Amino acid sequence: MKVTLRIQRYNPERDSEPYYQEFIVEAGDEKERILDLLLQVKWKYDGTLTFRRSCAHGVCGSDGMRINGKNRLACSTLLRDVNYKKPIVIEPLPSIPIVKDLIVDMSDFYKKYEAVKPYLINNSPPPEHERYQSNEDAEKLFESAKCILCGCCTTSCPSSWSDENYIGPAALLKAYRFVFDTRDEAADERLDVVDTPDGAWRCHTIFNCVEACPKEINITWHISKLKKRLAEREM
Amino acid sequence: MAYQPKPPEGWVKTNLKYTKERGSVAWILHRITGLGLTAYIYVHIYALTSLTQGPKAFDDEMKLFQTPVFHVLEWLLFSLVVYHALNGMRIVIVDWANGARYHKKLLAVVYGLGVVLFIGMGILMFREPIANMFASLR
Repeated sequence: MKVTLRIQRYNPERDSEPYYQEFIVEAGDEKERILDLLLQVKWKYDGTLTFRRSCAHGVCGSDGMRINGKNRLACSTLLRDVNYKKPIVIEPLPSIPIVKDLIVDMSDFYKKYEAVKPYLINNSPPPEHERYQSNEDAEKLFESAKCILCGCCTTSCPSSWSDENYIGPAALLKAYRFVFDTRDEAADERLDVVDTPDGAWRCHTIFNCVEACPKEINITWHISKLKKRLAEREM
Repeated sequence: MAYQPKPPEGWVKTNLKYTKERGSVAWILHRITGLGLTAYIYVHIYALTSLTQGPKAFDDEMKLFQTPVFHVLEWLLFSLVVYHALNGMRIVIVDWANGARYHKKLLAVVYGLGVVLFIGMGILMFREPIANMFASLR
């Protein structure tokens, strides 16, 4: 069957503004991935179409883009997940500078991610074996540890759109992942970073991040636990 | 040519373009009702300033507020209060309990209870005038 892709294009060396270009591609069935259709465009029709993709199996998180108005991974979105009877609109992640076509500048995203110190901090001398953590304590982290840093959540958040200093759901989720890690000793350092008007308190529980997350992480729930921890710290 | 990323679109345009799921619709309604109630506070305070012009001025104004048009407006004001209050409680449950895990069910309760309270208030407010209207037709 024929499917129309309406892709946002932008070449910084040629265009002053982004524009849309339509391509008609051949899709096998409803299980075809959007990524395969984009590759078809690149390989068959226009080699200049530029987008990121690496593993193509929802693990690396590099092909986050806005498909039919919603952030998703092109490799994890099948035709049956979108209305393909009409042209499928493919745009770069919103509210983030565009480098070229569907490639965005993630520098600010990573800067905010690094602000919460996304690594284990433990200054105690290492024990003879591993730093022990019970299964129950590890389970509290599993959901948050599934994050692949695709940026779909942070760039889907209206709070991020209107406040460029907001640290964003991805960084807050990572803060949770270490604040609630029983082996970590720097919870207060991280809580100081998120206990600001541009930190956890900027989350207005809109749930766009939860809808966008390709790994089905309930990010808002994790942020609510951080807020609770912050309030408990004050008391 | 030097690398020059294109700055993003403004937040209003992004808001308009991005798909609205139930959570974001609830948030937008919360903002609109919040702004509506804030605007109402100013109208309310302004209306009370007639008190400074003596009892007659105030009574005259109160008579105006007893007209059907103002009753309907009051009923609509009640809808803002109900939604903002119920969704406010939903946000508290999302933030302080585990509401983020079942926020869509909570939202269904907000809408359901909101509609029931809105219609209930409508019955309370307009039962008598409507009955009187039909009585006069007989």
